[in-house]
This record gives sequence, C-alpha cells and structure tokens, in this order.
Amino acid sequence: MKRLLSRRNVLRGAAGFALGLPFLPSLQPKSARAGDPPFAKNPRFVALATHHGGIWGANMFPGDGAGDSMSYVGRTIRRRDLELSLAGGKASVCPVISGSADKLTAALVKKLNVIRGLDHPFYIGHHTGGHLGNLARNDANGSDGAYMQAFPTPTIDQVMAWSGSFYPDLSGVLKRSMIIEHGHNHISWNWSSPDSKTGTIEEVGGIDSSLALFNEIFVPEEDPQEKRPPIVDRVLEDYKRLRNGDRRLSGADKQRLDDHLERLDELERRLKVSVSCGDVQVPTQDSAQELGSSSYGIDPAAQRRFWQLMNDVIVAAFTCGTSRIATLNCGDIFDTFDGDWHQGIAHQCHRPDGAAQVTMSAAHQMFFEEVFLDLASKLDAIEEADGVTLLDNTLVHWTQESGAYTHDSISQPVITAGSAAGVLRTGSYLDYRNLQKVVNGGGYEGAEEITHAGLPYSQWLGNVLTAMGVPASEWANPETGGYGPHYIGEGMGQHYEDATFSKMGEMLPWLEV
Amino acid sequence: MTHGVTRVDLTGWARLSVLCSTAAIAACVGRIGDGSGDTGGSSGPGGDPPGTTTSAFTCDGSLTPDALPLRRLSKLQYENTLRDLLVHTVGDEADAVFSSLAGPLGKMPDDEREGPAGELGGFTRLDQTVHQDHVDAMYEVAAAFGAALTDGARLSAVAGDCAADADGGNDQACLESFVRDFGRRVLRGPVSDEDVAFYAEVAGAPPLEPADWADVIALLLNAPRVLYFVEHGATEVTGHAGLFALDPFEMAARLSYHFWQTTPDDELLAAAESGELATEDGYQAQVDRLFADPRTRQAVEGFFAEWLQRKDIDELDSRLGTPVYDAFVDGYLPGPDLREHMYAELGAMAGYYVFDEPAAFDALYESDRSFATTADLAELYGVEPWDGAGEPPQFPDAERVGLLTRAAMLATGSANTRPIMKGVFIRKALLCDHIPPPPNNAAASPPALSGTYTTREVVEQLTENEGTACAACHPTFINPLGFATESFDALGRWRATQRLLDPETGELLDERPVDTTSVPRIVPEDDRPSTGAADVSRFMLESEKPQACFARHWFRFTFGRAEDGKKDGCLLGDLHAQALEGKPLAEVLRAVAVSPAFRERNFEEVQP
Repeated sequence: MKRLLSRRNVLRGAAGFALGLPFLPSLQPKSARAGDPPFAKNPRFVALATHHGGIWGANMFPGDGAGDSMSYVGRTIRRRDLELSLAGGKASVCPVISGSADKLTAALVKKLNVIRGLDHPFYIGHHTGGHLGNLARNDANGSDGAYMQAFPTPTIDQVMAWSGSFYPDLSGVLKRSMIIEHGHNHISWNWSSPDSKTGTIEEVGGIDSSLALFNEIFVPEEDPQEKRPPIVDRVLEDYKRLRNGDRRLSGADKQRLDDHLERLDELERRLKVSVSCGDVQVPTQDSAQELGSSSYGIDPAAQRRFWQLMNDVIVAAFTCGTSRIATLNCGDIFDTFDGDWHQGIAHQCHRPDGAAQVTMSAAHQMFFEEVFLDLASKLDAIEEADGVTLLDNTLVHWTQESGAYTHDSISQPVITAGSAAGVLRTGSYLDYRNLQKVVNGGGYEGAEEITHAGLPYSQWLGNVLTAMGVPASEWANPETGGYGPHYIGEGMGQHYEDATFSKMGEMLPWLEV
Repeated sequence: MTHGVTRVDLTGWARLSVLCSTAAIAACVGRIGDGSGDTGGSSGPGGDPPGTTTSAFTCDGSLTPDALPLRRLSKLQYENTLRDLLVHTVGDEADAVFSSLAGPLGKMPDDEREGPAGELGGFTRLDQTVHQDHVDAMYEVAAAFGAALTDGARLSAVAGDCAADADGGNDQACLESFVRDFGRRVLRGPVSDEDVAFYAEVAGAPPLEPADWADVIALLLNAPRVLYFVEHGATEVTGHAGLFALDPFEMAARLSYHFWQTTPDDELLAAAESGELATEDGYQAQVDRLFADPRTRQAVEGFFAEWLQRKDIDELDSRLGTPVYDAFVDGYLPGPDLREHMYAELGAMAGYYVFDEPAAFDALYESDRSFATTADLAELYGVEPWDGAGEPPQFPDAERVGLLTRAAMLATGSANTRPIMKGVFIRKALLCDHIPPPPNNAAASPPALSGTYTTREVVEQLTENEGTACAACHPTFINPLGFATESFDALGRWRATQRLLDPETGELLDERPVDTTSVPRIVPEDDRPSTGAADVSRFMLESEKPQACFARHWFRFTFGRAEDGKKDGCLLGDLHAQALEGKPLAEVLRAVAVSPAFRERNFEEVQP
C-alpha cells in the first residue's frame, strides 16, 4: 500500500531526521469512542516498564485534596483532578511526576492519569512479566512467585499485536510491535504460534538500536522495475514440504514447524508492505552507540539520549502507521551511583532516614521527565485532526516493578498519558486503595510506609485491552473477567474481600469518558 | 489461555516486618514440580528435600527416552556452519565474506543460558526458542550469503565456469549439478531429485543471471535442514514403539555439532554416505577422530566454562573509586577483563585434565594447580601465569585445593563475600540439589557489609535464628557450604582474617579470624564436621553426588534438554558409574556419543 502524506507539521527528532506529518482534516466534535471522529480509528499503545520502584506514596502520588469518592466493591475509592504546582520553572504534580514547566504544562497534565491502588495480590518479588500480564516471568524470590511460574501468559501488548480487532488492516504495518530494551529482560511474551495461539509461551525479542529499528519501520522506496521478487514464498513452500511430507515426524516436530511457518507468514506479509512517509531522512545517531560506552550504566545523560532516540523512532512509526505498539523495558538507573544499585539503593529505600528513597525518587523523576514526558510531549506536538493530537490517539502506560517497597506488588504505580483515541477520561488522580485494609504497617528496620489493599491489577490490564479496542472475547479469563490467571498469595486473602474480585471484567470507576 | 484460577489463602506470608518470621517451617522441602525437570518419583530431585537428590540412577530398559522436538542449532553452531560453508566454497576469502555478513547475523538473537535451575548450571544449547527475529535474520543472512557468493568472479569459483560463461544452454545442467553438490553440504545429507528440482526452480528459466544463482543459494540457506536437526529415523528399535535408530547422515550431524559445534566435514559425510558410519567399528572410528580434533577441546572447555560460570559476579572493577572497595582491594587493581579471566580458568582447567594430562573427574576437586594464563588472575593466586602448555604452577596456599577455591567460585564484585550465593551455587549447580524458593520477602534485606561483624556472623544473624522460616534451610543446607570458603575474600585471595571496614568510609575498624568450620551435610545424614574447603570437597566426592551432577549436565549439554531421571536413567547411570570408577574424563565425555540414546530418536505421537 502506498500512503502518500501531505505536510502539515514536521517532527524533528533528536536523531536529526525529519518526517513529513499527515494532514487529516476533521472538524467534527470529540466523541467518547475510539474510531469516532475526530479521533483516529486505530489507537496506539506504548508501554514503558521500569525496574525496581519502591517509591513512597508521598513521592509517587499527589497529596491529599478535595475530590470525589464512591463506594465500589466494598470499599471507598477516591478521584480528583490532577493539580500542577509551579516553582522556579519547575512544574510538579508530585515529586516524581515533575519536570520543566515548559514541558509539563497544565494542558499536558490534563492528558495524564495517575493511578494508585492496583495490586498483584501475592508476593511476586523481582519480575518483568508483571507489567503486562505474564506473571510467570518472575525471579521466584518467594514461594508465590515460584508457584506462578507454572502459568505463563501472553502479555497484553502481544494480545493487541495479533488481534484482528486492533489491527484490522495490516497492509501498511511493518512491525506489529516494537520491543525496545537492552539486554535480555523479558518484557514481552506470546505464543510460539501467535496467529493460531498455540504452542508454548515464549519471549518476544527486543532491539537496542534505534537505527536498526528505524530501518525496520521505514523501507526505502524502490523502483518496482528494479525490485527483485522475494523468495519467501519458496521458503514457505520448503517448510510445508517437510511439514506435510510423508517422512516420519513427531507431533511436536510438526508443532515446531507450524510455529516457524507462522513466522514465515509474518515475514512474507511484511515484505509485501510498501509505505511512503514523505521526506524521511535516515537518523544520524544510533542508540546502540551509547551502549558501547563502559560508563553507560552510571551516565544519566547517555541513558537519556538512548531512550529519546527511541522515542523519536516510536513517534515516527506511529505517525507513519508502520507500527502502533511500542513496549519499552528500561533497566537503567538514571543516576550516577556506582555501587550496587539493587542492594545499595533499592533494598535500602524503606529506611526511615530517607537517603536511599531520595536517590530512588530522583532517579524515577528523571525517567519521568526525560523519557515519559519527552515521549508524551513529542506525541502531543503532532496534530492528527483539529484539536486532536497523536497523544490523544495513544495510550502511554508507565509501570514500575514494585510498589512502595522493593519486591512488593501492592499499589504498583500506573501513570498514563493520552486517552486511547477518546476512550479514557484523563486528568485524574485515581486512588483505588481500601484504606481500611492495611497490608504492610511498616516497622521493619523502622520503615514507616503503610500500604493498603488495592484492586486487582489484572482488571486494569483488561481495561487497557478494552480501551485499545480488543474485545474481551479475545482475552478475558472466563472465571474472573480480568486478564490472565488469578491468584491470591499465601496469607493475602485476609486483605481482600471476595467482592474485590467481583467486577474484574468491568472498566474501573472514573476511567471511561 | 491459562486461566490458572487458584486461590490459596494460607497463613505465614512473611511480611517485611516479620522477615524470616517465626511462623516456622517444619522442614526444608520444596513443591513438587520444581527442580531439575525430572518427572518425579524417587529418581529425581524435583520436590525432594535438599540433600536427598537421587544420584544412584536406575536403568529401566523398558522405558523410552524423550526427544527434543525439531532441535534448533545454537547461534554458535549456526555461525560456525556458515563459516565452514564459506571455507568450502570460497576458501581464502571465507573470513572476508563472513565479516560481510555481520550486519544481518547481528540480528540473530543471542541464546540464553537455560536449564532446570535457570542460569545456574544452564547452557545456551538449551535455549530452543525461535523468535521472529531468528526467521527474519536467517532470511537476510541467506540473501547476503547468496549475493556474496555470486559476486563477480566468485560465481565461477563457487558453481563452476559453466555458471559464468556466455553459454546459456548449459545453465540448467550447471545449476542442477551445483544444487546437488552444494546442497549436500548445506543440507548435511543427500539431495533427492525432487530437492534438486525444488531448489533449482527458484532461479527461473535459463539463461541465468548471478541474481538467479543468488536466489538458489539463499533458498538453500533458508532450508529447514539448516536451522534445525531434521531427523526422520531409519529403523524402529525392537521393543520400543516410536523409537528409531537415526540414519547415518543424522548421526553425522549429531556427532559433528556435538563435538565440533559445526556442520559435518567431508570425511564424516563420506562415512555416512558409504554406510561406514552405520557400522559399529566405523562409528567408533569417527567418534575417535572427532574427539581428537582441536575443535572438540573448544566445545568441552565451553561446556565446563558454561556449567561452572556463576552469573552473580559483578564486574570486578565496577566499584573502583568507592571508599570501601578501594580499601578492600588494598592496592590491587582489578581490570575490566578479570572476571572473564576467572571464567576462562575453569575451562582451561577442564581442558587440561581432559586432554593434556588425562585424569578422572575427581581431579577437578583435588587440583592444587593454577590455570590462570593472565597476569591479573595469577597475581591474585600468587603464582606466575601459566603458559598453557607446560606444567601448571602449584598454588602457594595449602588451603586452595580444588574447584571450590578457584577465584570464579569466590569473587563477587563487591567488598563482601556471599556465603549464601556460594552455598546455593554448590547445592544447585554442583550437587544438582533442589532448594525450595525462599520465603516471601526473605530477600528484601540482603547481608550487608558490617564494620563490627564478620560476613559469616552477619549471615548467621540474618538467616539462622531458630524457629524461623529461613532457619529451615540456611543453617543446614546452604550456609555451611558457603562458610567453608570464607578463608578467601571477595576477589578470591586467601586470608586468615577478615578486615572489617567501615561500610561508609572504608576505614579499617577491626580484623577478625575467619571461621571455615561447618557441618556441610552433603547428604542429610552426614553430620561430619568440616574444617574448610578441602573437607567439603572430599565429602562431596564421597557422596557421589558431584559425579551424578556432572552426568546430568553433560547429558543436558549433549541433548539440549533437561534429563528425566527415569527415562534417561540408563545413560545417566552409565556416565555416573564411569565417573565414579575413576575413568579418565575424556572417556566419560566420549561415552555419551556411543550410547544408544545418542543414536536413537523417539518419535512419539508420530502422525501419518
């Protein structure tokens, strides 16, 4: 499909490439549903996952204030508008959600949501699978986590990537999902045969080079006369000869061949995609170059450059339509601490002297400003229809590995930007905790942070899928309505009423427009 | 979709505030299904209490071993295959052409170390995932490979003058001849007439251009027989439904990729073609030939280095410049490669006792020689670097004996030793014991460097309080193994005392004698006291568990899968027995290739 775009705006990325952006005239009023004008038919999704966490509530969430409250599944929950305070050129919603006032504007804050009180109701310890729904991908730091390793599940980004509802038309899509990470960190998972949803649950590999990613989502225009037909159809045929031949194979052999055939199908599909996004110039910088420095791990500026180069490519891909999903797994510390970050900072964050907490919060603030806010701002700078930006047509989703305590999954913070093409109400601080149910009362080594039982995180994951247009029939746990396996850890039942899990198939309160 | 709706609501969930709670766990036992991948029963460690792992394998000849379905080549094997194909086709230009493939090859995902205990004792060969990136990269590599081989004058060198001459009339015959010859090398076996027609067809009708030839080469390089071990078997093994002896070409591939990590050479293919490989004498001769080749040494050293490599060692120079670490290194300057040099020593040690001075398995636990070939590691040991050829230097410290006292077993990358992690590694990777996961939140506060207490004392305070959940496993099965090597510091240097440093300033506050005594309980009923690493090594060997664990790991490396203690009991038992009998390691390692299991394949669920 040849998609020629007229110019309305130009994104000039940090990588130095320029992209002609579309003019999509629409003067119709806003609507509450994705796909209704002026919103785009097809929303985009970005998941940003960061390691550790352990941020105290006072640093991670807005303070107390007047707002709404309501009774929900046996508890009282709260909502209020996000408020921005300004001081010395810095804008703040709370210590972590803060940044330069010219970036964190009042208008942008109205497009954020800050959600508190979403729990994995068991002890998960270290994990990367908990962000997007594969609870089996944890380090088995405790018996609960070890137990959950028996229940691998696709992550929601891959549910979207292989849903005909999310991608009704793949003719311009070069990558169903862009998985971005450095090192093997296991953020995204799917079936080995993703189209047929069969086989085993396997990691979906990531990429650490923004230039390589750019080259995957932008195929230079070729003269059709000079373009040699690909041979992938013959490769497919070769595998089919083996798969369907009369020579001896086990059933498991054939499953492996089926898995491979699906990947060849995907390759063949992509090789047929032809897109043009205007005057796209190849980036002059590559994120992978940053990784080559031995000091990268303790160089926040290099880390900022790495992720901002990736942000540029994401925005370009979304604008061009060659991909609509990006999953970023960030293990960088955004600090110059040269010791053992895990032991020296993360595992000291609970201490009441607050020294490690200050370091950890500052690192997360830097991630918010330099990565999350950078991406949201770039998306918001692109107008796709009158009054509707690319950010409005996107859901940017930042989650941390742990709640207020390292290793703990109570109140795992969720920060979002964008309305998923008009589906989600934004500008809210949503607090779903049951303040009558203390899970951790503090005390260990003087820790003072108190945590309360929230609502199931798997309900939120289902809400995300719904917002992105993937019907529950494609993913819902039939026994709970939420996403993925449901497990209440040893001793955790006392913190949750049965009612807590009674509406997992519904949108969380105050989320819908 | 796995719904897994399971609600468990038990008491005793350890909160931060009750770390190592007094909700005592009566015994140190695991959950059925954890552990090594054994299918349970008395033959394997899955769910067994630590220390009770079965090491006496039982051979039940009526059982049929499982098979790994459509095994994938490792990335290393795939790269070696490409390189050898280039040597075969373009000779001296092979290195240059291989370098030109770096771009697309770089997109091929790296394999990860996997195994029943994860990265502990895991091997990259067990990573059998096939990502979209594998398929995409292979397609790109094949295209680049085809283009490179048909570039300019190379085409005639690769396919003969008939491919490059002006006579289009001979192109079809030239092409078919090329597919038959080159295809035999690429596909590691005979190329049928149907195959020839299939692969030649993509070129289109003559006269052929170089790009047409490139397509043929690319199609061959994309064949399933390149990325996978495609096995169909030959004759069914009597009495074992679904179990088939491999055909000679399938055996050739297994032999070559196992010992050399690459595709069969001409002689091996010829032995398969002539039927020699199907005879016992012919097969044995090829096993001997392959084992004597230097490439086998690389693979064997790679096996030991990967098995014994602890992944929890931070870069040893990463904390330089911090007060505590600077005080700890005390003038020694660890370089950026020191950790890798420590890992390399493990492989070099194994290579020495397998090939240079053939010795039995026990030598790994009894050796008092340094195999450090670099000055930085040799300095830590207090010896001269080994030249890799002569007799390795003897350690000056009497306490430094055997595998457990090698720097790679001791280093941490911080100023503090890690007795718990040392114990866990020995238990899981060297004894193949199962350890249940720690209580929830037990890892929330790791042992910290103390200016008052020795590392051992800190660990004891943290994990050995009577009646706590931690105390169910740590004092009996984990800590004692780690305490035994506390006479070596976090760089692997011998010490009689531990210097107690201020955790903030690095100031030397005190110096206390180290205590290496413990009751290691290699098996639960063995309550003999140990004075240190030498005793623990001896107790381990006497328990026969390290030899069994070695058998398990060699099995995993060989077959690319976790063993089943019952179904694979015959081969495991044989390898274990040979190690216990004191047979040279080389013989034990070679034995796997002559076993029936290596030459047979289970085709359960065979479909028409």
